[in-house]
Amino acid sequence: MRSISLIFRSVVKPFIFISALSLGVQGFAQEVPALQAEEAATADAAPAEAAAAPSKGDPAAGAAIYKQKCTSCHAIDRAVVGPALKGMSERHDEQWLIKWIRNSQALVASGDPAAVKVFEEYNKVVMTPFPELTDDDIVNIIAYVQTEGDKPAAPAGGAAAGAEGAVSGDSGEVSNFMLGGLILVVLITLLVILVLNRVIKTLDRVILQKKGIAVEEDGVVSTKETAYEKIRRLSKNKKLVFFTILLVVILLGSWGWKAMWNTGVHQGYQPEQPIKYSHQLHAGTLKIDCQYCHTGAYKSKNATIPSLNVCMNCHNYVQATDKYNGEISPEIMKIYKALDYNPDTKEYGPNQKPIQWVRIHNLPDFAYFNHSQHVSVAGIECQQCHGPIQTMEEVYQYSPLTMKWCINCHREHDVNTEGNGYYDKVVEVHDLLKQGKKVTPAVLGGLECGKCHY
Amino acid sequence: MQALLKLCTTKGSMLVMNKLRIFSAALIAVAGSAVVSSCGGDKQNPGLEFARNMYDPIAYNPDQPNKNFANGQTAQLPPSGTTPVGYDKVDEYPNTNEGYLAASNNLVNPLTRNKQNLTEGKNLYLHMCSQCHGPQGNGDGTIVALEKFPPPPSYSKGNSSRGGAMKDLTDGKIFHTITYGLNLMGPHRAQLDPTERWKIVMYVKELQKLQ
Repeated sequence: MRSISLIFRSVVKPFIFISALSLGVQGFAQEVPALQAEEAATADAAPAEAAAAPSKGDPAAGAAIYKQKCTSCHAIDRAVVGPALKGMSERHDEQWLIKWIRNSQALVASGDPAAVKVFEEYNKVVMTPFPELTDDDIVNIIAYVQTEGDKPAAPAGGAAAGAEGAVSGDSGEVSNFMLGGLILVVLITLLVILVLNRVIKTLDRVILQKKGIAVEEDGVVSTKETAYEKIRRLSKNKKLVFFTILLVVILLGSWGWKAMWNTGVHQGYQPEQPIKYSHQLHAGTLKIDCQYCHTGAYKSKNATIPSLNVCMNCHNYVQATDKYNGEISPEIMKIYKALDYNPDTKEYGPNQKPIQWVRIHNLPDFAYFNHSQHVSVAGIECQQCHGPIQTMEEVYQYSPLTMKWCINCHREHDVNTEGNGYYDKVVEVHDLLKQGKKVTPAVLGGLECGKCHY
Repeated sequence: MQALLKLCTTKGSMLVMNKLRIFSAALIAVAGSAVVSSCGGDKQNPGLEFARNMYDPIAYNPDQPNKNFANGQTAQLPPSGTTPVGYDKVDEYPNTNEGYLAASNNLVNPLTRNKQNLTEGKNLYLHMCSQCHGPQGNGDGTIVALEKFPPPPSYSKGNSSRGGAMKDLTDGKIFHTITYGLNLMGPHRAQLDPTERWKIVMYVKELQKLQ
């Protein structure tokens, strides 16, 4: 019995020690990336300050006009709707550019060979005429494009991507370091427990010997008896048997209780998806409405997972190249690959495949659920069932989707019948009842075809 | 240890000690089982299931793979030459400049301009368009403000890349642009049925009048 209390004591102390230590390690791990992000931010700022000096015109004034008028169709170093603007001053002289930007169609109509060539090359897409721009404005834009074009390819972006990579790499290392550290701590504590046990035993023996009590040597008994005999001896120890049974019962009981209550409940299910799509970015930061992609939620039973053409509404332009050293983001590349889309020629190939997302919310087939009834008629926010979706980097099942969960909400939710066409009939019938008038099956919809001819 | 042994010699205190031990051992057992049972959180796995066949649908869901079709999908495109009920005929006004001008000349908003249609148009506009075009149609939506996407021209002040001022765009031109997209704007006919598009056109006509 002495050993049980001993074990209890020797277990509790290291347990507290380990938890305190692991908390400390975690705190440290959180501090490290924050520090490095700060360093990266200061490193970023440096090259941005060292911008090239203007060559001709005022690039700062040009930048304002450029952002307002040109960016819907042009980028500096890649073709968007129109050609990449980098190096346009080398391709055409300034007078030609002024004429072209002010009214490109007039220039094409006049038969200018360079103008006709550009017009043909870009599928005869007409460039917006800008008669309101003065010569000075256009010279400023040209100066801005020149200074931007002279900058080495995405220097700030590259640095940022590098720093980000370092940070993410570190966080991986930190977690490995943490795990290794924890294992080490556990091993050391086990060792300490063993050594302490030995020390205590020897000390006990010394004290007992001093008192003049004869010491029974443990080793003598145990070496004589076989393993079978030892088990038999231990099984006669009622306290030990009681503790073992208690432990087993509690373990099995709690495991069984948990398992039975959670059968078929997928709460917290967070499977890995084929594309690392972040709701936190799209719905949280960019504030794209849920309906933009999940169009069906407002008008059909299913909320609909968007097909890739919806992604392409933005990602024909957005490629997150600044985060990947000038390369297209590998996650966006997955969209292009599935659509057999060539980002350089902007053409779709024939080998198109859908992305197979992993279904998270899976209501059993024997339960009917209609999204539009809840979203459009009841006016429930998506977040009420799906949780703080705008903060989820990876989506998980927030609600249990159990029958109890459904019923509790149906018991408590207030029905708003005012200005809600869905409830007009119900309210009408209740008014009739209140007035003491006759209510026929026809009033309750008893003449609908489907009531008999289903 | 010595004091402990001494205590154990008297019977009364032995009972106290036993109670203490039973209690502490039970505590360890509860704590241990709590630790063990809380470690089962595998997020990749939906967990235990009973009678899975009652969960799976007998009919195919639209987003399920389906080996009965050549391309392995349940969701199929309508056969060529057919128009699903409630959808528009795509070939009538094709995605060309001619189609655009024809739409401008021939199409008029079929919906009556009333409060309900305008409110629905506004809601649809705010949900489907305002991320780029901005709540007032000035081309300053949230995505544009964060410089993730270039700004579209303002409905009231900008110029159209197909000529003319944005505020002079006709019903048909706006409808054609929502249907097929233009420049960086993608086609939205898959996300919005014709009635919804006409409601948005009605609201955009209001935004064109802003100063």
